[in-house]
Amino acid sequence: MSELIIPYLLTVVFVSFVINLVIALYGIFARPTLVKKIIALTIFSDSLNSLAIFVGYRVVSGRVPAPPVVVNYTSPQGPAQLAKVTVDPLPQALVLTAIVIGLAVTLFMVKVTMQVHRIYGTTSVRKLERIEHGNKGEEDEGVVE
Amino acid sequence: MKVTDLVVAASIVALALLLSYAMFLGGIGPVPVRSELRTLALNYILLTYNPAKIIYSALAPEGVTAIVWDYRGLDTYFETAVMFLAIISVVALTHGCKVRIGLGKGGMSLIVKTTTRILMPLIVLAGVSITMHGWLTPGGGFQGGATIAVATVLALVTYSIDTLAKHGIRKKILLAMRSTGLIGIALTAVALLIIGLAVGVNAYIFQNQERMGSPLAFPAYFSGTPTGGSLLFYNLFEAFAVSAGLSLAIIVTSLREEEVKETLRGEGVE
Amino acid sequence: MIDLIAALLMAVAAVTSIVFTYLAVVEKNLIQAVVFSAVQSTMYALIYFLLMAPDIVLVYLPVGVGIYPAIILLLIKKTDKVDE
Repeated sequence: MSELIIPYLLTVVFVSFVINLVIALYGIFARPTLVKKIIALTIFSDSLNSLAIFVGYRVVSGRVPAPPVVVNYTSPQGPAQLAKVTVDPLPQALVLTAIVIGLAVTLFMVKVTMQVHRIYGTTSVRKLERIEHGNKGEEDEGVVE
Repeated sequence: MKVTDLVVAASIVALALLLSYAMFLGGIGPVPVRSELRTLALNYILLTYNPAKIIYSALAPEGVTAIVWDYRGLDTYFETAVMFLAIISVVALTHGCKVRIGLGKGGMSLIVKTTTRILMPLIVLAGVSITMHGWLTPGGGFQGGATIAVATVLALVTYSIDTLAKHGIRKKILLAMRSTGLIGIALTAVALLIIGLAVGVNAYIFQNQERMGSPLAFPAYFSGTPTGGSLLFYNLFEAFAVSAGLSLAIIVTSLREEEVKETLRGEGVE
Repeated sequence: MIDLIAALLMAVAAVTSIVFTYLAVVEKNLIQAVVFSAVQSTMYALIYFLLMAPDIVLVYLPVGVGIYPAIILLLIKKTDKVDE
């Protein structure tokens, strides 16, 4: 019974990550405010990182798998025993750095958004577009005069 | 939040459950769950602490830290460099802005301030402990540094940016700490290379234990406990760099509008 | 039995994260959107724990629940409060 249910539940987790990716992409493209775009972008990157970790997961029959830490390192058989029950450490190591760098890049985007608001008085992409065109029109008039 | 939002959310959940049922029955493709370890992962697990095969081993029981700083150390080095660039660009956007004392109200009430004063050392201590166990238990430089940066956020919200500036947490000091961490990482990466050049033995960049054709190694044990060799130094310096860098970026982000606009208009430039 | 419970918890957390992702994306009030996003981050942290990635939990909890909401709240305080 549980051999059938567990793969289904793990598939639910996988599909949930993919659906979160899709919703976050909708947020990035369709919402006009830059702040909302940043929120959606963090959700997007987190979902991608989660997919990477999920790829490293494995099913061990009868128990949950162990984290990739050799607890019994004093005995020579310790690593071999762990290899029977552990998950893949490589995706975790790659995601670890990606999360911290993602935070630094998000801080940069936050700072740029603040600067946009300081200069144009809005963070809505639609309004910014209008301001851009309006400024161009004034310049053209100036040239004519 | 409206009722229609909840209805749409519930239908998306139903879509997820049905889609995964179709996937589970094999309608879309294979179920993406494995039951055996990949060969590469098996190698990492078997070699991460293996005194018998010391030329392939990192001698650290924690697999993730061993991969981050030994097997794929160069990747992590350049990722740290990317992070440094991002933080430098944040700082460059507010170049010349100065904290003006006495602009704000001075933070929250006395109760919150006292609670924060008790909590902050505990958070910093937790971060240091996470850092200093990175090669034995889950943890390491990135985790400890991020935890310490939370203490900065807490201090910034509870006290004000004025108080932090008065107590010496300024841009220049944090930038210096950040650079110290990066220089430490770079020096640890080439330490054995320099020793090898001085003694006249072969050595590699990012070398931790003895490798093929090179007998040099960082000390792997301290009174019987594994130290992970160079992983200890990498974790320490990375925690330094990450905590100072993130704190710097957060403090610069929370500069008040008056201070930044003053600099934008060209007044008050240093 | 324990693996079944772990998988069940994981699936429940994943499905809850879908709800909160959707709410965070469609919500007009940006402060509420940040709170929904923080709840979604907590769900992800739970999933990482159950996926046996303790390192990721240790780095994701301070980043996803502590620093992200804090800086985005700072950003909202200085810019627009409401999405169009």
